[in-house]
Amino acid sequence: MLVIINALKSISRSKGRNILIGIIVLAIAASSCVALAIRNAAREAEAAGLELVSITGTISVNRQMMMSSLQGGTFEGGIPDMGSMRETMSLYQDLSLAELLSYAQSEYVKDFYYSSSISLNAGGELEAYSTESSSNGSGNSQIPGSSGNNQFPGGMGSQGGMRPGSIIGSIAMGDFTVTGYSSEDAMTKFINGVAKITDGSMFNIGSSSMDCLISYELAVFNGLSVGDTIRLANPNAEDETYDLTIVGIYTDTSSSESSNMMRFSTSMDPANLIIVSYGTLQSIIDHSVAVAVTETSGEYGFESSTALNGQLSSTFVFSSRENYESFGEELYKKGLSDYYSLTSSDINNYEASLTPLKNLSTFAVMLLLIVLAVGALILVVINVFNIRERKYEVGVLTAIGIKKGKVALQFVTELLCVTLIAIVIGAGVGAAVSVPISNNLLSAQIEQMETQAVSQEQNFGRPGASGGMDFAQGGQRPSGMIDVFGSGAQADVTYLDKINATVNFQILGQLVGIGIILTLISSLAAVVFVMRYEPLKILANRT
Amino acid sequence: MSILKLQNVSYTYDGYTKVLNGLNYEFEKGKVYAVVGRSGAGKTTLLSLLSGLTSPSEGRILFDDKDVQKIDRYQYRSRYVGVVFQQYNLLPHLSAVENVELSMRASGKKFKDKRKRATELLDEVDLDDSLAKRRVLKLSGGEQQRVAIARALSFDPDILLADEPTGNLDLATQEEVMDIFSRLAHEKDKCVIVVSHSPEVAASVDEVYELASLGKSKKQRAGNEGKR
Repeated sequence: MLVIINALKSISRSKGRNILIGIIVLAIAASSCVALAIRNAAREAEAAGLELVSITGTISVNRQMMMSSLQGGTFEGGIPDMGSMRETMSLYQDLSLAELLSYAQSEYVKDFYYSSSISLNAGGELEAYSTESSSNGSGNSQIPGSSGNNQFPGGMGSQGGMRPGSIIGSIAMGDFTVTGYSSEDAMTKFINGVAKITDGSMFNIGSSSMDCLISYELAVFNGLSVGDTIRLANPNAEDETYDLTIVGIYTDTSSSESSNMMRFSTSMDPANLIIVSYGTLQSIIDHSVAVAVTETSGEYGFESSTALNGQLSSTFVFSSRENYESFGEELYKKGLSDYYSLTSSDINNYEASLTPLKNLSTFAVMLLLIVLAVGALILVVINVFNIRERKYEVGVLTAIGIKKGKVALQFVTELLCVTLIAIVIGAGVGAAVSVPISNNLLSAQIEQMETQAVSQEQNFGRPGASGGMDFAQGGQRPSGMIDVFGSGAQADVTYLDKINATVNFQILGQLVGIGIILTLISSLAAVVFVMRYEPLKILANRT
Repeated sequence: MSILKLQNVSYTYDGYTKVLNGLNYEFEKGKVYAVVGRSGAGKTTLLSLLSGLTSPSEGRILFDDKDVQKIDRYQYRSRYVGVVFQQYNLLPHLSAVENVELSMRASGKKFKDKRKRATELLDEVDLDDSLAKRRVLKLSGGEQQRVAIARALSFDPDILLADEPTGNLDLATQEEVMDIFSRLAHEKDKCVIVVSHSPEVAASVDEVYELASLGKSKKQRAGNEGKR
């Protein structure tokens, strides 16, 4: 009681000194508050994001690992044995649907869906949608560098799921991409609202009836409507045709946004995507295989078949990151080769989207430490001077019989009161400014990263790359292009550009903790001083 | 019976300068004592020893037959001994009445109404209400001295030690203060010890101890003091 009364009196009677300390603590508290809020927001964003986003993953061949292990296995640092490497790589192609389905039985997998794509040509009146006048409906698109031959001569592995048999399937580029989905969940464009059926309805996803959805552009371009039939042909064998009934017409906002992008072929234009069920697609492929003609090219010695070859794209869905990681471990236990790996663009993209925020958080923590160190130093110095000034007071108080410990406690209490008041005000100031400050800092960070990315793109001769970055938040697949080759396109990210750097009780608690630590450090000087002196000496010195 | 006893007390400072040598004094309750001596005779040193602010180089000081060195000297100062310092030693940022209250609070003794008691004590030493509320810093030397006296009396100590308590006071107030001391001793059975060089003070007390100056010589002059 004595200590508290004395402390309060002393604070009220020495305003100047206490205001000075108060201002310093206030500055420390406000900047600590902002730093803590940023750090907290970064952590919460990371945790919340990974909890909310249902994680999707794919199993793919880890080529880098394969190559590095093959290199290490043959010569050390020497030229790798290209022959054995090719042999090994052909052994480890992408997994078949049957294998994937068996892995999908795992308890960690919440859902598993897949799609397969083939490229087909127009088989009748139909014309592929194109903005380029040179393109025509019936001719095969030319792939640059393929010397007029529109067939890839094998060898071109795909990450997405092409699985050539012993006979290398030809991949002729048709004008249309026909994609069959195993489940409506696999139709990510419709799930995330990029695409929408505007006329007609969805076909039965489980059936193999020859129903399809076509894009609005394609419908308008060819004057088609729901109920019409379109005829498509195998680009390798023009007389092998398939009739599909249009049950719905959809709009795809990504197709208009990406219309200015350079394209490999017209089939890559989202407008030329024809959607069917996986069953329908499989029946087309089965038919194609049944009627296929195999020929051997004399020039290259490759065997090629006219059979259509679907490119499988599969997705595992996990309810949490833990399940994703457990599944990854389980795969290897079940005997999957080390040359395969489970990857998730969701996690990668989400982590990448957090990069500016994490940078900011690191910066904030550094700032916090510097502010605390400098602040503590200043407080210690001020306190030492204060106590020297108050030497006489120490002498008087101890001379009238107040124990040194109580005197020291009084000084600590004074400092603690001033610090706590300053921290409350500082927290208020910090709370008011933390949101705008942190968002400003964050946008500066993002700008820096984007500038870097754009200049990189420009270095690769891709002007206007920044305009094409329109990927949905949270790590969705790039939607500007049909992802024929699986996740071949470079994944881009929408950075998390707003954080909710609010001050909560946790931060207030941390601030009070900081205040107490600062008080204790800086009043240590006071305690040492008070304990060291004898009252008579202090009083005698004065006289 | 003596409440405070000096047994062969000597005090040396700086390791070699002896100011007090072999003192054997006894102080009883109900009496006013004066310790007189020339400047530098060690009057203030004696007072510091008696108040437990410092320890004797030799000998013992007994309070109620207990060695002051072996008891809690903070408690001794805060509860049993009231000291009027020569330099007053008041806290300048507090008012007169707050200084008095502080000592009462430090003693840990229970008082019904501290503010009232403090005001009454200040009134007794001729400090009215307006002066009592003023900060000590703004009081004159004489006024501060009176605050120091009121403070020493505030927690009802058994012993009152006063170092030149009347030095800055006019003759009338000086007499009033000595009257207060006298009443304390004779009516409330306290032991009052006044250190002074004033002959008037010496004349108004019950017993006088005279401290002879040891000067700068390091020679020991035993028995250089005595009752007058």
